[in-house]
Amino acid sequence: MTTSNSKVLGSSFRDPDGFLFEKEGVLYRQVNQSGAAGYQQLMDSGLYQKLIKAQQIIPHLEADLEPPRPKTAYKILQPERVPLISYPYEWSFSMLKDAALTTLSIQRKALEAGMTLKDASAYNIQFMRGKAVLIDTLSFDPYREGQTWDAYRQFCQHFLAPLALMARVDIRLGQLLRVHMDGIPLDLAASLLSPGMWFNGGLMMHIGLHARAQKTYSDPSKPESKPAARWMKKEGLLALLDSLRNTVKKLSWKPAGTEWGDYYNQTNYTDQAFENKRQVLSGWIEKINPAMVWDLGANNGAFSRIASQAGRFTAAFDIDPAAVEQNYRQVKQAKETHILPLLQDLTNPSANIGWANRERDALAARGPADLLLALALIHHLALSNNTPLPGISAYLRELGSSLIIEFVPKSDSQVQKMLASREDIFPDYTPAGFEAAFSQRWEIVDRSPVADSDRVLYWLKGK
Amino acid sequence: MTHNFIILAYLDPGTGSILLQVVLASLLAIAVGFRIFWRKIKGIFRKDTALEDPEAENDDE
Repeated sequence: MTTSNSKVLGSSFRDPDGFLFEKEGVLYRQVNQSGAAGYQQLMDSGLYQKLIKAQQIIPHLEADLEPPRPKTAYKILQPERVPLISYPYEWSFSMLKDAALTTLSIQRKALEAGMTLKDASAYNIQFMRGKAVLIDTLSFDPYREGQTWDAYRQFCQHFLAPLALMARVDIRLGQLLRVHMDGIPLDLAASLLSPGMWFNGGLMMHIGLHARAQKTYSDPSKPESKPAARWMKKEGLLALLDSLRNTVKKLSWKPAGTEWGDYYNQTNYTDQAFENKRQVLSGWIEKINPAMVWDLGANNGAFSRIASQAGRFTAAFDIDPAAVEQNYRQVKQAKETHILPLLQDLTNPSANIGWANRERDALAARGPADLLLALALIHHLALSNNTPLPGISAYLRELGSSLIIEFVPKSDSQVQKMLASREDIFPDYTPAGFEAAFSQRWEIVDRSPVADSDRVLYWLKGK
Repeated sequence: MTHNFIILAYLDPGTGSILLQVVLASLLAIAVGFRIFWRKIKGIFRKDTALEDPEAENDDE
């Protein structure tokens, strides 16, 4: 939607207190009159400063700008831009867990300042400088004594249910968040978590009984409850938050036993090949000088760190939840600020979804990156997924303007393993076939054979 | 400073979720009260360790 020369973001329509818009490439937020009380108290009570200090909220400036919708406008804010927007279905277990704990910690601080979070959407959290931060400055309302927490249900659906399913049933159930935009329905979570859930106090209360209460009161024949029953002491609310926090904290998942978990310990690379690859990459990255790097098939981020440690923002995508989890743990442990591990299946990348397919962006819509790394990836796309080479070339061109790609030939032991159980229907999968296919959209700047292997690294520039 | 703005919730909290929350909050608050009381009782008998209760909860993560 366009108002004068500003474009309102497709994800910003639910909350009547304000909306996000872009003008000349800069992101702004309009605070409406209806959101003025909440915004002013956030700023005047010291809560904003406290959250900034804890690195739990996105910093913003007040901007002197003509509002796109002047009739309702109170103020215009210019928030700091998140380098790369990511979604809960792209996070590893610990990322979602940290997002949940951050949300609860913010709600606690809000209550101390006489405010309350009016929503607890996982989409309001983003990762910046290695930390989970709230990006919705308008999520706060003044707290009135006796008030219940309107966002309780949303918290359970967006955070608790997927975390419990990932930890206690199967890590892959986190992907249910792709289908259920407002979090996983609690009756679905309850049925998948039963019977074990009934022996865990927190899950029993916040998922099991919660699902039953929803079912009971969704019956239209039941009379609506009296407002008197909705009064709740602040001590009660604090105890409820504590219980949620303890329940979340106790959920854990250990990345072990998956296909790629310790890939680098059992790969066919020799130390020399590994070191040689590092050096070539490092030299090329410096020459390309990218601000934004996407490492596709990054595993636990060993090569992504060549870029991120040189101060370039690097998203490290991998299909394996264990690799992404290991990568994130490393980010936390070393307090790394320029790397963002994300879950991504490149044979079925994140799509445009939500209302009018405009709420959550596809992977390509969040690009293009200045540089793509595609190391030890092409054989998975070309041979395991049967994707023709020109198709791979075209999609990568959509994602980035420069590309460092490793060609893994048929003589490589990994490829031999892949072809051992199937017919070789890939006559074009050769270095010459690769170069021919990619030359339509890319220009070869440089190439370098990887020492001690049959693999070749290419530096390509988009045409 | 005071503002006279109307505050309207945009999220549907859900009737079942609200009523369960009220019940859970009261029960959990009682449990917290009992824990504090129990800690004090224990403190009377173990004055030397009461100040360093390892079970004391941290307020933040």
